[in-house]
This record gives sequence, structure tokens and C-alpha cells, in this order.
Amino acid sequence: MKILEANAGALTNFEVLHFLRAKGASKDPTRVIAKVAQSEYKVYDYLVNTAASAQTRENIKDFLTSVKQHDLAKAEVLNILNTRPVAEVEIFPMIENCEERFPDEEVSEIVELVKKTLPPPLIMKQEETATLKNEQGKEISQDQNENEGGEQMDTS
Amino acid sequence: MFYLSRIEHKLSLPPTRLVLPIREAIHMELEKLFLDKVIANLGLCISVYDIRSIDGGFIFAGDGAPTFTIITAKLLSSNADGLRLTLGFFDDIYVPAHHLPYPNHFVAEQVNSKKGVWFWDFNDQSYPIEDTDVIKFRVQNVSYPPIPVEQPKESKPFAPMLVTGSLDHDGLGPVSWWFAEEVENE
Repeated sequence: MKILEANAGALTNFEVLHFLRAKGASKDPTRVIAKVAQSEYKVYDYLVNTAASAQTRENIKDFLTSVKQHDLAKAEVLNILNTRPVAEVEIFPMIENCEERFPDEEVSEIVELVKKTLPPPLIMKQEETATLKNEQGKEISQDQNENEGGEQMDTS
Repeated sequence: MFYLSRIEHKLSLPPTRLVLPIREAIHMELEKLFLDKVIANLGLCISVYDIRSIDGGFIFAGDGAPTFTIITAKLLSSNADGLRLTLGFFDDIYVPAHHLPYPNHFVAEQVNSKKGVWFWDFNDQSYPIEDTDVIKFRVQNVSYPPIPVEQPKESKPFAPMLVTGSLDHDGLGPVSWWFAEEVENE
């Protein structure tokens, strides 16, 4: 075996999830028939519980366009896309020299941008709605309308 | 956490596979060889992404970028040395005691047991790291220890890829620590 190019490009969790879904991975019982290996299913099961599960290409494009105005490194944007931080404190560990590079207001702007362009993860929606109840009511209804994720949501 | 690698590999197809169209046969054989295996200094192979006629493309989970990767995981076990976390598809993630948020203290389950619970001591309160928590960590290091020639019978199964994580930063650790804080502040 020869490694031609060790790193031919980073992939977002969304891209990996999308790839697995395109292969036939899903949450329902038809998973036994799909051409997806057991080990690939474990990755799918992990990703479906993260922010990537509700994302679409449009969300990501919107986010990438809006975030350009802030001077973030590619790896930092990737981290944000994958984890969908909704509070300043969640952004701090992702950005090198955060305090030096970004004043508090800019970090808040980035958080607002994230909340606006990227949908909350499908599973966590109920938890998040509860936590956000103390904030503006508008935000909650906006989130519940963004059900364009590739999967059907459980009606539980 | 994930990235693409291009690999060239010479393989021979066992006769049983030749019933299938050639692309499918190669795809299956590559999956058998690479899926869920660690390649030193590259990472854990997750999927065969694409086969070009001569080249093959693979998705790897590993340390592609040199900057901070933040990953969310579940607690697998906790003992005096630190924590062990799992992603479901990979569980050789260790957070040694010195990478836990400080100040902290460890409470052993039983007097002579190594197992127990870690607590973060902050503002006169102690926050535990529990089984049910979903934990955010930062990747400090990924290493590929050399395969041992012989192993004593009772030692842990060999881990070809070891991820060392850190919780020692604002926003890291159990997700419940930070969300709970948010609600309190309102």
C-alpha cells in the first residue's frame, strides 16, 4: 500500500454523514439491507447525534459566506461547523489567541451568525428549546421551522 | 476530525468476488482490507470514498489539521489516572489527570479501587464528571504506538491509535456544566 496523498482535504461532519446517507445509512430497520458496513454504521450513529444531522448544503453555504467577514482560520471554521457553538464560552476553546484576535462583541456576532445560519441538531432540539425558553420566544419558532435535514424526524 | 486520503494499493481479487462487476468487487475487497483499521500516522479508516480507475480515495478519522479539534464524546471509564472517552466507533481516547480542569479532586469508588469520579472545584462548588455526561474535549495529540511483538496475557488489547484529549479550558468538559451555567445567569 502506498500513501499518495495523506491529506487530500478535510471533510466536515456533514460531508461524511451525507456520504454515509447516500450509501443507504438510516435509522430505521432497513439498515440491514443497505450496503453499509457495521463499522460505518457506528460512525453514522455518532454523527446523527451531532449538529451535522440537521445541516444542509445551503445552511453551510450561508454560514461560510457570512463568516468570511471574520478573520477565522479554516480549521476554526470547521470546528464551528461541526459543533455549532451557541454560546461565547463554547467558541473560546476553538480559537487560538481568541482574546487577542477578537473583541467580545465580535465573538458574540459569530455566535449569532451560527445560530442564524445553522440549525440545531435533530436530537437535541427538545433540550435546546427548553434551555432557550428563557431567551426570546422568536428564536424557538424559527428553529422548529428549519426541518430540512436529510432525515425524517422521530415524531416522539 | 475527518479528512480524505489518496492511497494506491495492489490487491488480488479472490475468485469468489469475480462474479460481481469489477468495480464492486474491488470496492468490497478494499473495504475488507481497510475499513475500521488504523493506518499509522494517518488515522482510522472510516470508508472507501471513491475509486478512480487506478487510484483509490479513503476517508480517515485522524489528526489532519494541526490546530485545535473539538470533539464531543461519551464517558467510558474513570479512574485515578484520568478519563477514557468513546465515540462509539472509536474508544481509545484518554484524558490524563493533568489535562483535567484544575483545581479538581478524585473520589475513589471504594477504598482500594482505582475507579472513581472526578470533580472540578470551582467557586466553592464541586462539579462531577458522570457516566451520563456528554463531554467536549480538545485533541491534544494523536499517536500511533508501535505494535508490540509480544504482550503479557492480561494486558489491555493493543491500541494502534491513541488520542489524548484535554478538558482544561472554558467550554470543555461535560456539556451540562456550561448549559446549566447559562440558565443560572438569566
